[in-house]
Amino acid sequence: MRLTVNGVVVEREIEPRRSLSDFLREDLALTGTHVGCEHGVCGACTVLLDGWSARACLLLAVQCDGAAVTTIEGLTPAEGLSPLQEAFRACHGLQCGFCTPGMIVLAHELLARNPAPSADEIREALAANLCMCTGYVAIVRAVARAAVARA
Amino acid sequence: MAAPWVGRALPLKEDARLVAGRGRFLDDLAPGRLLHVAMLRSPHAHARIVAIDAAAAAALPGVAAVLTGTEAAAGSRPIRPLIPTAVPVNDWCLAVDRARFVGEPVAAVAAVDRATAEDALDLIRVTWEALPAAVDAQAGARGEGPLLYPELGTNVLWHDTLTYGDVDGAFARADGVLEERFEFSRYASTPLETFGAIAEWDAGTAGYTFWTNDQRPGLTLAILAESLDVPQARIRLACPDIGGGFGNKRRPAYLLVCALLARRTGRPVKFVEDRRESLSALMQAAGGVMDLALAYRADGTLLALSVRDVTDEGKNLVSPAQHNLIKLGNIANGYRIPAVRYEAWSVLTNTCPAGANRGIGKPFMCFAIERAMALLARRLAVDPAELRLRNYVTSAEMPYTTPPGAAYDSGDYPATLRAALERFEYARRRREQVSARAAGRLLGIGIATSVEPAGTNLASYEIITGRRAASGSAEAAMVRIEPDGQVRAALGDPPSGQGYETVVAQIVADELGVRPDQVDVARGFDSATTPWLYLSGNYSNKFSVTDTGAVVGAARRVRDKLLRLAAHRLEADVADLELRDGAVAVRGVPTRRLAFRELARTAYADVLGLPPGEEPGLEARHAYQNPLAKPMDAARRVPSQLVFANAAHCCLVEVDPGTGGVKILAYAVVHDCGRELNPLIVEGMVHGSTAHGIGAALLEAFRYDERGQLMTSTFMDYLKPTALDVPAIDVGRLEHPSPYTPLGAKGVGEGGAIPAPAAVANAVEDALNSYGVTVRTLPITPEQVWRWLDSRQFNNVGSNFSESPQ
Repeated sequence: MRLTVNGVVVEREIEPRRSLSDFLREDLALTGTHVGCEHGVCGACTVLLDGWSARACLLLAVQCDGAAVTTIEGLTPAEGLSPLQEAFRACHGLQCGFCTPGMIVLAHELLARNPAPSADEIREALAANLCMCTGYVAIVRAVARAAVARA
Repeated sequence: MAAPWVGRALPLKEDARLVAGRGRFLDDLAPGRLLHVAMLRSPHAHARIVAIDAAAAAALPGVAAVLTGTEAAAGSRPIRPLIPTAVPVNDWCLAVDRARFVGEPVAAVAAVDRATAEDALDLIRVTWEALPAAVDAQAGARGEGPLLYPELGTNVLWHDTLTYGDVDGAFARADGVLEERFEFSRYASTPLETFGAIAEWDAGTAGYTFWTNDQRPGLTLAILAESLDVPQARIRLACPDIGGGFGNKRRPAYLLVCALLARRTGRPVKFVEDRRESLSALMQAAGGVMDLALAYRADGTLLALSVRDVTDEGKNLVSPAQHNLIKLGNIANGYRIPAVRYEAWSVLTNTCPAGANRGIGKPFMCFAIERAMALLARRLAVDPAELRLRNYVTSAEMPYTTPPGAAYDSGDYPATLRAALERFEYARRRREQVSARAAGRLLGIGIATSVEPAGTNLASYEIITGRRAASGSAEAAMVRIEPDGQVRAALGDPPSGQGYETVVAQIVADELGVRPDQVDVARGFDSATTPWLYLSGNYSNKFSVTDTGAVVGAARRVRDKLLRLAAHRLEADVADLELRDGAVAVRGVPTRRLAFRELARTAYADVLGLPPGEEPGLEARHAYQNPLAKPMDAARRVPSQLVFANAAHCCLVEVDPGTGGVKILAYAVVHDCGRELNPLIVEGMVHGSTAHGIGAALLEAFRYDERGQLMTSTFMDYLKPTALDVPAIDVGRLEHPSPYTPLGAKGVGEGGAIPAPAAVANAVEDALNSYGVTVRTLPITPEQVWRWLDSRQFNNVGSNFSESPQ
């Protein structure tokens, strides 16, 4: 199977039952993609698949043959942080940090499609993922701050 | 002196790695030749294990070892309980002859990967003999139902009545008595990272190394050493980044299973729960039923409180009755109630073990009291805020000791409520509620207030056991200036999202005159390098009341040594020196200074330059115990927890009579956790903690059927609040520092979770006022609301109702 991960072409032979999340974490050592429920509800494993957010735990890696996958590592600059990541840090839009990579991937997708979302639109989009620590208040703030920073 | 770093809303050091996906969580660790563990779990709530045939599983290619309960019992000792049962019973790391809840592990497989291990589980044949299940704690309290442990002769682990003051006299003199029954469902804070462990056996040194996201390493180390029959010196336990805890992250049994498999295979083994395992078998807040009677005068003054409390422990042998003790300690909430009676049952059932969950016992206790206050206000036709204001312990009365012995140290409870009412614009919203109701909208306002203690005093277990084993509340820390002059600190309390790397750096920075970015705080915990106590861990809101003292104490020892070294080398008097910008300088003579790096060179390398008698090195450890912890007295009074924060929650909800859905339109919190060490962290804690309470109020419940099958074992049926369920919680604060903590701080992690279920319930009941609904249980699901409306006032509901499906 051949796919592009964070801009790098990867060619591997893998078991058909290997999930994309396990493939990313175990085979490619991209441990920024977290696994929280393995049944598609929590969204900790959210990655971009050809630019759209997807649950890596519900995808088999082989389904991604030919696709382009972007993980949190692919959204992080070599030096420093992205403006979205900076906003999460400035607003403390996280606590334990386990949901955070998935949240940031999700927010990245939102801002790519809707650069100036309202608070309601942010909540609507973020409701795809679960955070057990923040009550979402600071995450919503962070995404709104990032949107303003980009404008 | 420069403005202190403590108190500033500093962005978090650890957030920089976490937003980049560079955290290091348990499942990110992978030692070489690692094996992966899967566990076979009981499909029955209660069943005898007649036989286990694991031969086919062991023969599967890729499988390294299979461990059954019988083998586990032969290779380890039972897990020592915190609170022992009257007759000792053996609690092994795997079920041996009997499974006692759905999801209890009965065998474990170690294989080259998790998928292979799970394949092997399918090949294990267990011959079960199903037994009737005990699922009703009320029945258990009455002595009915099948026994989990026939050798105990009962499912009641603890039953006692504690009376403080003249309860009977107060009830006899009262103008009225409010009696009500409340029920609390099981729920859990469900940290997003599940629990897990890696164990490694070193045959050369006959020792074990564990990596785990266990949040209470001190206690776990003791259990591991005892169960594995290995001296504690040969066990190293370390915690990496922990993805949320909330009390749930503990299960020594899983570490023991990993240890036994590591020893047998000679390879490191890792077990990480999947979500279903976590929801069905890790830890759930104890549910139960509480009968409450409140004696009052006609003006609403509370005279006495009597509570009968049946707690459903599930199969909890580790810490039974813990919920009861904490409820007793918080039974008076913030009110002056002169006489209290508490009759408690702690009852085993064939369900998941109950245990610590954000606020342990307090959310239920607060729910019962604050629901009772709402009902009393309605009965007396007094505003619910006014009724509370008439009954609060005032700041002038503090320190105030409640009848069961809790010491309220500081705070101004009436001021907290008044500030919340103002923030919420209570009067305006009440007016708007009237007009909205006239327009047919079901709007309700709920108030709930709470006290929030911090730190656990284990001496309270003496109420149950009659003897003292562990006691008090303490933590240990280390501060060191490295040979290159950089500061490093470590703490025996592994954080799970509380930002300790930042706040500890703020504390140390103030003590040593450096910037927080010059202080490296160790990630997590490592028993080989971190100072620790049996009491060490991330629990019970204790950072503010013990950890701060440990850090301050260690930093001051290092500071004192820096001053002595500098005084010697600068030939100055210590009193003339100050710590500033990473150096010790003579006050007023900035050129006469020695940088930490230079002093460290003396301390570590040029040791002949030390003052006479001074020990080389620049490192100090300190363990701190909070002074409020006391032993139980002759009247069985004991502070089960220590320093008290407080909070007031106001909530506006709208009920949709068509769907039964409850929407929170506004939510205001004013809290007082004393001095806020980092307001950015504190506000996040209040938001998140309140969200947990909202989840418990509206969505979350572990539901078992009458045979003990768990009906809610995934996030598809055990519902967590999303960004659409939690409102933009508006937080205000008061700061009454505690005189009994080193920095004036109090606990903040649990405060939202304690009153929020009551605040939401009170609001929903207020919204449904005209239907005569009394909220007695949670969660308030749409189905529940719909049933209330359906049964009460079919014709009175409005047009939405007739459009909904019948």
